[in-house]
Amino acid sequence: MLTAQLLYGLTGCLIVALGLRTVLLHASLLHRVVAINVLGAGVFMILVAIAYRGPGVPPDPIPHALVLTGIVVAVSATALALALARRLTAEQSND
Amino acid sequence: MNTTGLLVFDGLLLISIVSLAWSALASPDARRSVILFMAFGLVLAVAWGRLLAPDVALAEAAIGAGLSGALLLVAVGEQSNRALQDNALRVSERNALRVRATLQWVITILCVALAATLAWALVHALDRATNERLAQIVSENLAASGVSNPVTAILLNFRAYDTLLELAVLLTAVLGILALGTARPDYQRTGPVFDGLARWLVPVLILTAGYLLWVGAHAPGGAFQAGATLAAAAVVLRLAGERSIGLPQAGALRVILAAGVGMFLVVGLTLLLLGRPFLGYPPAWAGSLILLIESAAMLAIAATLVLAFLGGRPPAIAVNEENNRC
Amino acid sequence: MTDALIWLVAMPLAAALATLLLPRHASVVVIITGVVTTLAGGILLFAVGTQGALSYEIGGWTAGLGIALRADGLSALLLLMTALVMLAASIYASAYFSKAVERARFWPLWLLLWTSLNALLLSGDLFNLYVTLELLGLSAVVLASLGGKTAAVAAALRYLLVGLLGSMLFLAGVSLIYAGYGTLDIAALAHLIEPGPVTWTALALMTAGLLLKTALFPLHFWLPPAHASAPAPVSAVLSALVVKVAFYLVLRLWLDVFAAVVTGAAANLLGVLGAGAVLWGSWRALRAERLKLLAAYSTVAQLGYLFLFFPLLQALPSGPARDAAVGGLVILALTHGFAKAGLFMAIGVIQQRCGHDSIRDLDGTAQRLPATTFAIALAGVALIGLPPSGAFLGKWQLLAGSFATGQWLWILVTVAGSLLAAAYIFRVLGHAFGHQAYPQRPVTVAREEWPALVLTAMAMVGLGLAGAPVWRLLEGGL
Repeated sequence: MLTAQLLYGLTGCLIVALGLRTVLLHASLLHRVVAINVLGAGVFMILVAIAYRGPGVPPDPIPHALVLTGIVVAVSATALALALARRLTAEQSND
Repeated sequence: MNTTGLLVFDGLLLISIVSLAWSALASPDARRSVILFMAFGLVLAVAWGRLLAPDVALAEAAIGAGLSGALLLVAVGEQSNRALQDNALRVSERNALRVRATLQWVITILCVALAATLAWALVHALDRATNERLAQIVSENLAASGVSNPVTAILLNFRAYDTLLELAVLLTAVLGILALGTARPDYQRTGPVFDGLARWLVPVLILTAGYLLWVGAHAPGGAFQAGATLAAAAVVLRLAGERSIGLPQAGALRVILAAGVGMFLVVGLTLLLLGRPFLGYPPAWAGSLILLIESAAMLAIAATLVLAFLGGRPPAIAVNEENNRC
Repeated sequence: MTDALIWLVAMPLAAALATLLLPRHASVVVIITGVVTTLAGGILLFAVGTQGALSYEIGGWTAGLGIALRADGLSALLLLMTALVMLAASIYASAYFSKAVERARFWPLWLLLWTSLNALLLSGDLFNLYVTLELLGLSAVVLASLGGKTAAVAAALRYLLVGLLGSMLFLAGVSLIYAGYGTLDIAALAHLIEPGPVTWTALALMTAGLLLKTALFPLHFWLPPAHASAPAPVSAVLSALVVKVAFYLVLRLWLDVFAAVVTGAAANLLGVLGAGAVLWGSWRALRAERLKLLAAYSTVAQLGYLFLFFPLLQALPSGPARDAAVGGLVILALTHGFAKAGLFMAIGVIQQRCGHDSIRDLDGTAQRLPATTFAIALAGVALIGLPPSGAFLGKWQLLAGSFATGQWLWILVTVAGSLLAAAYIFRVLGHAFGHQAYPQRPVTVAREEWPALVLTAMAMVGLGLAGAPVWRLLEGGL
């Protein structure tokens, strides 16, 4: 196991925990959406750390493909959450 | 770079990543939180580059930091958007305040425990070094895949089914956005400085998008990065106050949105009906089929991200829907 | 024949695009797709029954490099249930939405949901499961928010956030598995899995994510508002299918892939949470003022029964007793799917005809909407678990298993839950039979009422009297 893998992997775990804490605790919706994105970034960090195999060696491409898919899925979900929030505000002001 | 130098660089990078994440999450002001999040995304892109993941770095910069940040920023900018500040998950308010403090401690401890468990498992997993096998199989089959960039080969050939479903996820999100409301009002026409900037930036972005699409076959790049760049061009146009930002009208727009999934299905099912496996490209045609699918996907991704930025149905669609009796 | 596996995913997806591009012909497209998909599901079930588990490698790449689709007895049964429920709900939905604009928005999303259900049930790759879970979550959220007022949109937003959290936890688990075993293929993993920190943590993370999605107590808080505020056909499918496939994944992981690693303590934990779900869900259903809220809490309770099987299956040694228990679990899940979908659709009819779904004000519904009330009664029988419904067979196996392994607690919970279910069902039926005279011409609209009736009848008679083939189909698998 390489030092870089260990460092980046452990940081990923830390970021996952940070994101999770804010999702569970923070009151505002926007912070929760940001926190879910941060949580995702932590998981992606773990994946990319797994893929790294040293300075001169080509990395394992499969986790890279998985992370790319994950990034696109995350932005779709974020966009939907923001659209729902906008609609919710509109409905609440109609009440 | 020597090992110590690299270690120092890694240390600084990781410290900035963690502090940016912490500040973004802890900041009470929504706008500051979003901007710190965008910075977090950009530093993350540097980290991906450091870990020899250029495809992911491009995608993170364009989509993860760039477009996500733009979406969040424009949402925060709407002064009237109360729901963003409200608590979305709170179901009952009764004991909220009393339980608050103990709950905070319990959850913090649980999250620390989760991080520790995750780290412990990860260390054990990394010790096993078993992922050589699959990566080797990928490189063995790379020649038959039609492209030489392994990430593109995985996304558009070996695991193309994942990408097909992912484009379906994008389609679902954009259909939801279209159903939930109408687009935000146009921006005012901007001053000469930004206007001048936009005049050369937009063509450059469009060219870059085309380049990224083409080069994705043998270098970092591909449909997702290209689509995001194209969407960025449209966003710049909109910010400059242009009314028409290149989005087609009602029927054509639906075709473009459906094109990503549609092209995949057309290619896949045609191959199936010709006796080959679903999405089993003949090696001689693989490169061209992949480019065909990626072009359609690029347009669909760009249109989806632009509509997400607009926030809802553009005005022309709203009129057209009333005429659609079925 | 194995081509059917990919057609089951490609057909609804192609139909979704067709309804998007040709909104005027959407209803025809949907019905044709529905019928063809149901037939395909039936053919698949027959094929699995005669040939055993089927697999299809997409792109021709070996599983591991590429993604494989797999179908065995369990997934084929759930697939057919999905097809039948979706077909019935589609017929109902074509009558439910009166405005063309609503329908034009509804059908593409509806078919995308169907695609995700089929894709999830057939997927043989862990990361592919993550993507199907996301597709499922997003389409369910958008459908739940359609045309909705504040309550529906707020509930949908909560559902989205909870769903995203669950998916992220699942993905974290998948990453650990890839790190530790170097493959994402489920069939290959089933042979490679061995106990260790990587496996335990990965299983815990994936299960946690899935428990959020299947709304197991105490993570059920998002379900009642979301299912109660959604449009009726959407509620039907959310309760019957969407949470069910998340449970299917828990089952697949615990009994199939990670079977070597599951401990008694972990299984007992699931059982205890299931018991909590049964008691709390049934109690809240009894106290509900609205029909849809009652049905939503009933879903929470019924899913709890399914989790009660886990400690039993862990304690029973391999053999006929365990196979019977697995069969009971599946029949219970299938029965609930049909019964709950029928119940929600019947409630939807009442809501549209009477303008409300308040239980106290139901006076006289039975006389005015006899077919619908009959459907509610049938669904109620299946939810309580009276013979001849499939649920009776399932609960019988639950009790038999508890006796055999000496785990008395589950017997108490099952009996208490069934009594509470009887109470809340009879409460509804009691209010439905008012004191008015029988009208000359009771209202019956075929498209609205027959789907519910057919589904609940399936739960009662189909699965109850013809349940034996289910056991035979499951023999090879878990």
